[in-house]
Amino acid sequence: MDLLTVSVTARESAGEAYTLVEIAGEADVTNTDDLRQLLEEEVSQQPRTLIIDLSGLRFMDSSALHALLRVNRSMDRQGGVLALVSPQPAVAKILRLTTADRLIPVFDSVPDAAAG
Amino acid sequence: MPHIWSVATRSAIPAARFLPGVSCLLMAWDAETAWCKTAAEAAARPPVPQAAGDGSAYPMPPSPAPAHDPMSYTYTTDLAAIRAVVHRYAVKAGLSEARAIDLVLAVSEVAANTVRHAKSPGSLQIWYDTKEIVCQVQDEGTIPDPLAGRRRPSLEARGGHGLWIVNEVCDQVEIASDETGTTIRLHMDLRCS
Repeated sequence: MDLLTVSVTARESAGEAYTLVEIAGEADVTNTDDLRQLLEEEVSQQPRTLIIDLSGLRFMDSSALHALLRVNRSMDRQGGVLALVSPQPAVAKILRLTTADRLIPVFDSVPDAAAG
Repeated sequence: MPHIWSVATRSAIPAARFLPGVSCLLMAWDAETAWCKTAAEAAARPPVPQAAGDGSAYPMPPSPAPAHDPMSYTYTTDLAAIRAVVHRYAVKAGLSEARAIDLVLAVSEVAANTVRHAKSPGSLQIWYDTKEIVCQVQDEGTIPDPLAGRRRPSLEARGGHGLWIVNEVCDQVEIASDETGTTIRLHMDLRCS
């Protein structure tokens, strides 16, 4: 079984299109390059809203966090918005410790994130 | 390169009394020039030798390994396995789930440095008694900066969060490093868990 699985779907909420990326498993230095590459591909499609559902992610280390911060900067630059959804306790902890959760909005559910 | 080691602790050790506002006390020591300094002084002031409030001179050597046989694990890139082992021992030792999560994060960050920088496998040892659980990570990498992980990195920084996180979540962090390798000991107090 892969340590990390990522699925991407194009969705719509109240007529607004958004990209939903679901990350599951454990994200660390050993798979950050793959994660970063995949997220950058989605960012390059220039979605207005990119939502990353973290509910299936059991663990995230600082290198995976950097990948998310980088995506956030790219989305900012192109006038889009990145939102995170439902981090589990270990993931919520690193977001809180590093104050990344003050930089990137975190929502309880995908519909909440899509509604902004 | 001189042998460098440092200790950072959250607990109210006597010397902390002399540093109002400093909750995390740092002692870094360079054996060749025999200086030690605190986080508060680390900025630019010349190093000043200090003594602890209980009269014993800092720096002290890293705490001794346990008398009983610790759990040992050698790793290369299997960080998920490391995390599972640490979590199992943390719960067994009596750490709360929240603090077990902290310890897992800390050990994973230290072991990630082995994956990033060391060219050979690392080893993890875990031991505990009624007072604390200790995870010791050793590898052949070198940390040249005795203040590594003591400064909060910017979110814009491309790296450097790992050891900072380790210092944030653990009750005490000991780092010993020279050209032959690095040993990092992470302590979690079981009595306040």
